[in-house]
Amino acid sequence: MAAVAAPMASKPRGSKAESFVDNKRREDIRFANINSARAVSDAVRTSLGPKGMDKMISTANGEVIITNDGATILNKMEVLQPAAKMLVELSKSQDSAAGDGTTTVVVIAGALLKECQSLLTNGIHPTVISDSLHKACGKAIDILTAMAVPVELTDRDSLVKSASTSLNSKVVSQYSTLLAPLAVDAVLSVIDPEKPEIVDLRDIKIVKKLGGTVDDTHTVKGLVFDKKVSRAAGGPTRVENAKIAVIQFQISPPKTDIEQSIVVSDYTQMDRILKEERNYILGMIKKIKATGCNVLLIQKSILRDAVTDLSLHYLAKAKIMVIKDVERDEIEFITKTLNCLPIANIEHFRAEKLGHADLVEEASLGDGKILKITGIKDMGRTTSVLVRGSNQLVLDEAERSLHDALCVVRCLVSKRFLIAGGGAPEIELSRQLGAWAKVLHGMEGYCVKSFAEALEVIPYTLAENAGLNPIAIVTELRNKHAQGEINAGINVRKGQITNILEENVVQPLLVSTSAITLATECVRMIMKIDDIVTVR
Amino acid sequence: MPIDKIFKDDASEEKGERARMASFVGAMAISDLVKSTLGPKGMDKILQSTGRGHAVTVTNDGATILKSLHIDNPAAKVLVDISKVQDDEVGDGTTSVVVLAGELLREAEKLVASKIHPMTIIAGYRMASECARNALLKRVIDNKENAEKFRSDLLKIAMTTLCSKILSQDKEHFAEMAVDAVFRLKGSTNLEAIQIIKKPGGSLKDSFLDEGFILDKKIGIGQPKRIENAKILVANTAMDTDKVKIYGARVRVDSMTKVAEIEGAEKEKMKDKVKKIIAHGINCFVNRQLIYNFPEELFADAGILAIEHADFEGIESLGLVTGGEIASTFDNPESVKLGHCKLIEEIMIGEDKLIHFSGCEMGQACSIVLRGASHHVLDEAERSLHDALCVLSQTVNDTRVLLGGGWPEMVMAKEVDELARKTAGKKSHAIEAFSRALVAIPTTIADNAGLDSAELVAQLRAEHHNDGCNAGIDVISGSVGDMEERGIYEAFKVKQAVLLSATEASEMILRVDEIITCAPRRREDRM
Repeated sequence: MAAVAAPMASKPRGSKAESFVDNKRREDIRFANINSARAVSDAVRTSLGPKGMDKMISTANGEVIITNDGATILNKMEVLQPAAKMLVELSKSQDSAAGDGTTTVVVIAGALLKECQSLLTNGIHPTVISDSLHKACGKAIDILTAMAVPVELTDRDSLVKSASTSLNSKVVSQYSTLLAPLAVDAVLSVIDPEKPEIVDLRDIKIVKKLGGTVDDTHTVKGLVFDKKVSRAAGGPTRVENAKIAVIQFQISPPKTDIEQSIVVSDYTQMDRILKEERNYILGMIKKIKATGCNVLLIQKSILRDAVTDLSLHYLAKAKIMVIKDVERDEIEFITKTLNCLPIANIEHFRAEKLGHADLVEEASLGDGKILKITGIKDMGRTTSVLVRGSNQLVLDEAERSLHDALCVVRCLVSKRFLIAGGGAPEIELSRQLGAWAKVLHGMEGYCVKSFAEALEVIPYTLAENAGLNPIAIVTELRNKHAQGEINAGINVRKGQITNILEENVVQPLLVSTSAITLATECVRMIMKIDDIVTVR
Repeated sequence: MPIDKIFKDDASEEKGERARMASFVGAMAISDLVKSTLGPKGMDKILQSTGRGHAVTVTNDGATILKSLHIDNPAAKVLVDISKVQDDEVGDGTTSVVVLAGELLREAEKLVASKIHPMTIIAGYRMASECARNALLKRVIDNKENAEKFRSDLLKIAMTTLCSKILSQDKEHFAEMAVDAVFRLKGSTNLEAIQIIKKPGGSLKDSFLDEGFILDKKIGIGQPKRIENAKILVANTAMDTDKVKIYGARVRVDSMTKVAEIEGAEKEKMKDKVKKIIAHGINCFVNRQLIYNFPEELFADAGILAIEHADFEGIESLGLVTGGEIASTFDNPESVKLGHCKLIEEIMIGEDKLIHFSGCEMGQACSIVLRGASHHVLDEAERSLHDALCVLSQTVNDTRVLLGGGWPEMVMAKEVDELARKTAGKKSHAIEAFSRALVAIPTTIADNAGLDSAELVAQLRAEHHNDGCNAGIDVISGSVGDMEERGIYEAFKVKQAVLLSATEASEMILRVDEIITCAPRRREDRM
């Protein structure tokens, strides 16, 4: 309400003077928005690039996270200012669209906002800026596409290179030689030949287990669970030639939906009831055994116990291995992998619904145990990756980095083009757009020039984070590009400008294009806002 | 001593000058708030919720902004209401109506200050609005007879509506989409048959129109993923267990086997129910409630595609488009109306799997899938598209169209001015004021675009001195241009509604000479 009251009080009559007062206030809001959004972008700027630094975040509930992933940092920052929130959203969208480049997108948006601020002070109307940005963005995409190199999925080397570019900027960079091929193989193995364009990352299951080092991370041809075998009664922990059933019912005394109670009137009945319970469970287990099943995966149930001590005992006797508390949403993945059908009732327990595997075994890893199912017959198109790490923080970061690498490969599957990394595309864009701006007329040319300048922030920040002299590096880079070496980029390891394609620093085209489009879209939205209204 | 207390404590009363002042100020504040969103270069607003989560909405839609405001001023509430009514009736022009009403009141305030009685102002406004409406009627374009031309009219209207919204960059694409969707409705204004699905990812350009119906659900495990010539049973029934709904019903048994028997009986009952459902001769079953694992498996065994937990809206529109009725008992297969469609299949949009029903019985149905960078963009895109669809469906029924870009206002202002000259008496001041208020709309459009409004409006007025002129403000090039050439059209119905409801609202506020605030109802003290 205060927001409405303020201009009201100071309002003189007559439409001319009044619009002046309003404009003043709106300008303030726009600048406030820009400043807070830039603050967010500055917060993540130092984590860009292979020599970027990590952030330690301590959350409200005392948890500590160390990460280099822009999306994760912003997600945990809990910003309140609406424009700053939009930047957080921006990073999230980049995460869902491309999976990588979540820091880049925010840094670009911050740089664009900075340029817009000076354009606004020069008195250019925000809608004009917004329209020119849209135009410049379209042109930028064209330039990027022209620069890109097509890649085939059979060209495993290139895929691995781009995955390692993404991994190089993470905490786990020293393991990139291990993780990059792993990510490539995982994605390639789940591609459905009928729909080669689409990769569903849900088909790749990442299981984290504390202990060992990241070096021990590996893919498992089969299925891995972070679950223990229930063996209170000494059941088997290793089964060869397994016949696996995924069941959605429970092996425990019956429970009806209607409320019931058993009335016991004298103690002979107690004996009988106990016996009946035994018989009931035994009956179920016999039916299971009859199909030849020797491994049971039991879905978690909130209504009743999945297994009781008694049933475990009988199952152990029948040499059936039991894994309980499988989540309902995992059922689809499991059935797809094992090529079996879930069984919801004991009456439907038939041999054809079982899955087959050569070996199911419990392996001890570090302090815990995991379950591995290998040698699955007619395995579905899924992959499991077992991630190891010496502490929880490394483990979590390894998972995030692996996710980014998977996304990078997925981008390449859906859009099969590669582009150079190391700031090369940004500086080339800046150069070509700068040249284009000179051809344009009026305000537009001016805005496009600013857009081009803003893009230089990426090589600048890369150099800065690597401890190089940013001005010297960026000017040299500009010089090289002006001479036609469009693939010249910053080689952070050597600390100089080299042909970045030869250095194997490549990234998917989709990551760059989506970073530029999303950042522009977000900046345009912020430019168009002239008021913040508090509502219910 | 006179009676000192008529009202309760806490109740307040404001009279005469003060009351009028309060309502003028309130109404004008509201109109100034949304003023800057008007026109193709209008600005957006951030709506920051004070509720939990501090959700942020970015919007340009007047109705959405006004709906969510905290308002205490009674006159301001009237304006919010007219904007809401405009939204419900015609869908677009929600900002224009508020701005016009605000301008009318601003003019009225000046008249009142120069000692003209509010009733005289009202009478003048009435005459003026009648005259303005007639002026519009004279100039309407009606291409009802010529289908092709009518379609292009609709396209232009859609583009004009969309160009002030977030979709402006891809307006051709969305205009085509909206017009196609509205044509499928064949004249009905039932927008429910057009389903809008929002999926984050991709860009706005990737949005598309799809004939048929899309349900954002998953197919049960182990069931067919593609069905041709589907017979669909849409149901709202519990597929867990039929619970005995008597409080405290309880079974007493004396042995474990009997408990097992009861459990068996419950299973059997469910099996019967599933059998009955299968007996309808269906191959697709859609339930609003959950389907538990057990019946899901039974359906899978029978080769029936079962979809669980479809939300209420999904069920209703699915029933509507496939021509089925929602069933909840299954004893009489003959009396249940099944839905039909040619093909059901699973499709992927972005990363998500959706179920697509094509070749539905009701040909009107279609789905618009919106793609965009973030939820903010998608929500705003949905609002904009909804506006366009509303306007188009109204225009299909009332085929009269007008030019846009401040043209209608200038036409009206000219006629009203002439009327003012002819009218004798104080009323003529009010009529003149009305014309000034009308001109405020093109002025605002120009102001928002950062153009020199005084210069442009003066040019426009001069152009309009000639009869049959098509001049309006072309915001893109920042000059006065021929609206017909630029293809900027608006629906007559929208303009008419703006004119009439703005006049009525300002009339209502003008009549007020006393505001009585009632004492807030006390809560009983329970502490």
